[in-house]
Amino acid sequence: MNKSLRFLIVLVPIIIFTFFANVLLIEEDEKFSKFNTKNFPSFELNDLNGIPVKYEYLDGIKLVNVWASWCITCLVEHPFLTKLSDANIQIVGLNYKDSNNKASAWLQKHGNPYIFSIYDPRGDLAFDLGVTGAPESYLVIDNQVVAHIQGEMTSKKWETIFYPLIKKASNET
Amino acid sequence: MIGEISHFLSLSAVVIFSLILIFNFFFFFGKIHPNQLSLSIRLFNQACWLVFISFAMYVYLAINDDFSIAYIASHSNSQLPIFYKISSIWSAHEGSMFLWIVFLTAWSIFFINSLDDSHSLKKTTLLMVSLIILGFLLFLLLTSNPFERLLPFGAIEGADINPVLQDPALAIHPPMLYLGYVGFVISFSYITAYLFHGNFELEWEKDIKNWSLVAWIFLTIGITLGSWWAYYELGWGGYWFWDPVENVALMPWLAATAFMHSLYASSKSSVLKTWTMFLGILIFALSLFGAFIVRSGIIDSVHSFANDPQRGLYLLIFSGLITLLALGVFAYRIPSLNASKFVVSGSKESFLSMNNILMVTSIFSIFLGVTYPLIIEAINGEKVSIGPPYYNTIFTPLILITAIFIMASVDSLWQRSKPLKSYVYKTFFPVILSILFTYFVWHITETFSILSYIGIFSGLLILFTYLLRVLNNFFYKKFINKGSAIAHIGLGLLFLAVSLNSILSYEKNLYLAPGESIFVNESIKEFSFDDIKVLKASNHDVISVEVSLLQDGKNIILNPQKRKYATRGQITTESSIYASILKDTYLTIGDQLENGSWTFALKINYFIKWIWFSASLMVMGMLITIFKKKAT
Repeated sequence: MNKSLRFLIVLVPIIIFTFFANVLLIEEDEKFSKFNTKNFPSFELNDLNGIPVKYEYLDGIKLVNVWASWCITCLVEHPFLTKLSDANIQIVGLNYKDSNNKASAWLQKHGNPYIFSIYDPRGDLAFDLGVTGAPESYLVIDNQVVAHIQGEMTSKKWETIFYPLIKKASNET
Repeated sequence: MIGEISHFLSLSAVVIFSLILIFNFFFFFGKIHPNQLSLSIRLFNQACWLVFISFAMYVYLAINDDFSIAYIASHSNSQLPIFYKISSIWSAHEGSMFLWIVFLTAWSIFFINSLDDSHSLKKTTLLMVSLIILGFLLFLLLTSNPFERLLPFGAIEGADINPVLQDPALAIHPPMLYLGYVGFVISFSYITAYLFHGNFELEWEKDIKNWSLVAWIFLTIGITLGSWWAYYELGWGGYWFWDPVENVALMPWLAATAFMHSLYASSKSSVLKTWTMFLGILIFALSLFGAFIVRSGIIDSVHSFANDPQRGLYLLIFSGLITLLALGVFAYRIPSLNASKFVVSGSKESFLSMNNILMVTSIFSIFLGVTYPLIIEAINGEKVSIGPPYYNTIFTPLILITAIFIMASVDSLWQRSKPLKSYVYKTFFPVILSILFTYFVWHITETFSILSYIGIFSGLLILFTYLLRVLNNFFYKKFINKGSAIAHIGLGLLFLAVSLNSILSYEKNLYLAPGESIFVNESIKEFSFDDIKVLKASNHDVISVEVSLLQDGKNIILNPQKRKYATRGQITTESSIYASILKDTYLTIGDQLENGSWTFALKINYFIKWIWFSASLMVMGMLITIFKKKAT
């Protein structure tokens, strides 16, 4: 059989693999920059104490964290959120499909990193926001959702996705 | 505790597989020790058993609700029936990877022990499979460990299996598919070992033939079950969506189908050996590629597991190296394979090599369809999606060519051509009958779509070719290869059913309030929304609707549902299907509108069951082939 054909049998897979490796590595860097910013949806909900939450409460830089007392991963990311709130990051909880009693008890037991938690038992706001489950975190700057992650908030995700955006936003103002 | 033991056993298996490889690597250069092979085999068997026991313990943990294991806590629930507790293991990435490895190990241990100790390829094959199992075990333990504990506290209750996965078809769809995928590790390792050895006198085809046939059966059943499940459980209303993950399952299937045809030729005469080996390597390489696509999340798909570039990179590098190793040694050995190059045109070999070319073309087209969006995105950052139109346009001509060659190839002879007159005689009736029937279909449906009619014609061509042969066999006792005939009738039926489905089926969106009834069309004279109820089940609330139809003079009651699951808050739609031989009446409910009426999606799917029936015919044909081989 032809020599160049033999060469191709090896070369073609190498090209394919290199291509995929490239796509994989590029995607990692660019993923969050491709996020389409959108307005934070309007809502009429109370916080866990029954006080109506105003839309203006989301002005400034806020990390909106979707959580629930039934959610295990929320407990896993809880220490990290506490650390963030100790570092003066304002975290707004979105209590998702939960009961008020259980949620309050959960916060009392594990500590409350949130400035307040929006109580969304039916998941109305969560639906408009595009929540698929708990936990999820949204970065909201001046009522604009600028970044979104699903699953546990880790220091890596915080440092690569959220922190640069916060830094940029606070430099601009 | 059991979790740690299970974890430890998997780690031990890693150590032993590494030992086998290191140990043989050093002996490779030195003199061969007489006990080397038997020691390797013993170590290999023990390592495999460690994997099995580790998995069995993991199943035990899942059954007993050990929610201190993070994976079980986030995918199972104490309220689930045992059946789903077990199947929850393969409902997400980590556990399904574990199952993948268990199957890989199972195929390997059976195959290695089926070879005689004196078999010259036993050792190299063993090393090859050990390397592959080791690579995947490391992938599991390093990047996607299912044994991880939730520390410091375990969960009290599990987060529950995704409700759409709570279905018997889904519980068996992944295992079947994986059994098929990894089954081709045998042909892959064995062919690579054969090429390494360079002992080309050996008759290698018979050793892997039946293994590959069985793996093909699993793969076919796996794909069919997936398609069936998507249709009746997910409420998608179709059977195939050209979704990237469906495509990466179809590629190994096409390669495997080509491989088996080619294997048939190379075991009968010495041509096509190079082709057969290439295909044997390609199948598993495509399986690995599929695992990469699904598990790296590189392409958005309904099946994608969580995005994790690290996993993707590991899989890419590992499968890349394995594939290159095999293809490299293949390319190096091509000149010494001395397969006879001369193929008589019109002989059976020539048709089988045509089959190989067509199959590889199909694989390439799908591969292009899967990667094209990525290429475009890499070049100009735009997101494009390639959908059914691309595949339909590409595949229809391929199907027609395939059908023509299948028709011409029946009755062809090994290494000899037949006079042209016999082709004319043989193809006359199928062609005439197919044209008449296609015209007949056009006459009664009065719709026209060139692609679908080519599909219908191609399907009929294959069907009539084989049906005439069956008649010949029945009346004149002419020889017929039963397995092949049944499988090809299945193929013809598949083309026919898919094409008819695409021209006849239709969809209507209806808006009705409870108590209302409307006229839909000539076939469905009345559609009435009789009742709506909210019910409570153990782990979900149900909105159940009762609709009665007056279809073709018959009264039909349908009960589509919407379910809201408590633990995950997920909403699923349960379609309601009324099935008759020709068509399915498929109804799902949508949302409630502001004026109180509900939206309904009514689909009339023609010939959809025929699609799965034809897939089962193919499986049946293959089973007959296997058992006939055993008998002789």
